[in-house]
Amino acid sequence: MLEAINFGSQLSMAVEIYLVLILLYAVTIMGSYLVLGYLSVKELKDYLTRNSFVNYEVLLSSEFSPKLSLIAPAYNEGLTIEENVKSLLSLNYNNYEVIVVNDGSKDNSMEILIKTYDLEVVEMNLDIKLITKRIRNIYRSKNQAYKKLLVVDKDNGGKADALNVGLNIAQNPYAVCIDVDCILDKDSLLKLAKPFMENDGKRVIATGGVVRIANQCVIKDGRLIEVNVPDRMLPRIQVLEYLRAFLLGRMAWERLDGLLLISGAFGAFDKEIAIQAGGYDTKTVGEDMELVVRMRRYMLENKLPYTVSYIPDPLCWTEAPENATIFKKQRSRWMRGTIETLFIHKKMFMNPKYKLLGMVSVPYWTFFEFLAPLIEFVGILITLVFLAFGLLNWKLFLLLILFVYVFAVMFSVLGLLSEELTYHKYPKIKDFLKLLGAALIEPIYFHPLGVYSALVGYWEKLMGKKTWGEMTRQGFQKKPGS
Amino acid sequence: MERLWGFYTDKTWVEPFLVFAIAFFALGTIMMFMALVFIRYRRIRRQELVKEYQATVEEILMGVMFTDSIFATIVNDEKMAKLFKSPLFRQTLMDGTLNLHRNYEGQYAENLEKFYAESHLIRDSFKKIKSLNWAKKCLGIEELAEMQVTQAFDTLVELSKSSVRPLKIAAIRGCIKLNGTQGLVHLVKHKDPIDTWTQLSIIHALKKGDIETTKGIEKLLTSSNKSVVSLGLKVIQALKLSDNFPAVIQLHSKTQSDLIKSEASRVMAKLENFN
Repeated sequence: MLEAINFGSQLSMAVEIYLVLILLYAVTIMGSYLVLGYLSVKELKDYLTRNSFVNYEVLLSSEFSPKLSLIAPAYNEGLTIEENVKSLLSLNYNNYEVIVVNDGSKDNSMEILIKTYDLEVVEMNLDIKLITKRIRNIYRSKNQAYKKLLVVDKDNGGKADALNVGLNIAQNPYAVCIDVDCILDKDSLLKLAKPFMENDGKRVIATGGVVRIANQCVIKDGRLIEVNVPDRMLPRIQVLEYLRAFLLGRMAWERLDGLLLISGAFGAFDKEIAIQAGGYDTKTVGEDMELVVRMRRYMLENKLPYTVSYIPDPLCWTEAPENATIFKKQRSRWMRGTIETLFIHKKMFMNPKYKLLGMVSVPYWTFFEFLAPLIEFVGILITLVFLAFGLLNWKLFLLLILFVYVFAVMFSVLGLLSEELTYHKYPKIKDFLKLLGAALIEPIYFHPLGVYSALVGYWEKLMGKKTWGEMTRQGFQKKPGS
Repeated sequence: MERLWGFYTDKTWVEPFLVFAIAFFALGTIMMFMALVFIRYRRIRRQELVKEYQATVEEILMGVMFTDSIFATIVNDEKMAKLFKSPLFRQTLMDGTLNLHRNYEGQYAENLEKFYAESHLIRDSFKKIKSLNWAKKCLGIEELAEMQVTQAFDTLVELSKSSVRPLKIAAIRGCIKLNGTQGLVHLVKHKDPIDTWTQLSIIHALKKGDIETTKGIEKLLTSSNKSVVSLGLKVIQALKLSDNFPAVIQLHSKTQSDLIKSEASRVMAKLENFN
């Protein structure tokens, strides 16, 4: 009898400790969002004030502007490759080349490129620094109008391998890695290149820009001409999600100089450092985050002063998954990428040698990006146990749900407010109301889907899955006549 | 610690805490929503006002430029006098004046400069460069430089020593606008490094400005500040100043810096190509 009472009190104590830890976790995560949001808004305001005096013509007309190599890996992009390459060739910048790396496409991408751009095979003396899959041929255009273009045809090896081929071939000191199906702002290269020239004694090793959702936006000749908010709820909520992530998250990490991720869709790197750090890791599906972490680690371990810069202007527009199946594939892959990167660089976790990166950025990602879905899932299970044993205090439970819900809505509205105060890309009242509606629905529809996808990511990682999975896209809405 | 644990396990705090937090977040949401609506309304109102003001400003400035209207007669009109007190109207007027000044020369430009002084817009610009806010200072510099207010030159030289990059750039550009390449010579004694972006902004200002003489550029090559020397070399290359070839050769032979030596070699090669 005494033993049973003892066990009961021990169990009760364990539950109490668990609840303390969970409460602390929830308050910390909410607090961190608010702190990051505050820092982001401050940094955003400073950036916009500074930027209002910037004349990008300075770069456009200068022979001294940094030389860039755009690397665009392409796999089965036959439907859109002609238009996409054309739009890459017409960006506002002087000193750049475009390297399209055909990663062993099974469709007619190569035939289209050869025909459209009048390509011929050329011989190049390559200084191979990164080991990659076999290069079949390198092409240049016979037409002088396309002299910036270089096309590499190679065996299939995945996106990271294709990017490494691009790094090997790039002639210029800065490599801009992009997704070929993204829509870039005409001035995106001007904005991305500028931080490389603002070296206050620190070497700028990478710069990234904001990615926004282009579903239902109108595109003409590879350019975005009308911004719309999607009607479908899933991409619509992703518009809001991206606003929060880019405007209220990454700007703060930029201010703290603790940014771990530059989106694979659009980022520029100091080629020399990227190669010295070993290039893209072909064994991970989170190659974009992994490269940034490795480059930073390389600089810190070699005691080289450096920084990573970030531009809040919407420079790159991408298509978000339209249905739950594709969304789940994307998010589970992102989770696997996060796990892999954190595991590869586990040495940095809480290691003062890596300064802010080791003491704040990596632990933050570990606790609030990697572990959050798991903790949430465990919480749901425990709630179910409480429910089964009739231990659930309904009043408190509902208050707790409301607490989380109202916080989530408030943070989304803060994201909308930041957008309104800065870029004002959604001026139509209809779009504004759609986003507001999405903020109310997100916590009960989108968030659980995100947690589920992350759990699938854990499972796939445990099962040893290494592939990307097919990402079917709907294609952008085209302006009639384009 | 025991008391704290006792308070925690007591659970009486949980409900008030949650209720307070919910109310706080809900209030925050409502306030931000109202701010959003207000900002949207204000933006629309401002756009309407600016559109309205632009029509009046255009009428005033056309009169000033082509029919020699005098400011004193313009403000005699009660409605106009009232408008001139509105900061938004004055800013619209300032923008209009600067835009026209950029596109006109000779007598028309002089008429605008006269109007700028008479209408006290010049006072607004001086107020801006005295502001503690660097962004306002930049605006003031741009206005004074565009309107050729040469008495601001010394202030701009001082401001060009600022550690705030946009202010430094605006001030140096202003100096160039007011005094051509002579507006750059003071950089010989500049102590801080001038980054590449600032250097390119200076070169752009030189290219865009109607610089009558490039005399004095070679002085930049004598600076003890390597970034100023680098700027000098870039200016010589960008503006194809072959007259400075001997100065570049001298720099190349004397400098101890490998970086400057290689830059000088590049410039020498380029200058030889131009010839």
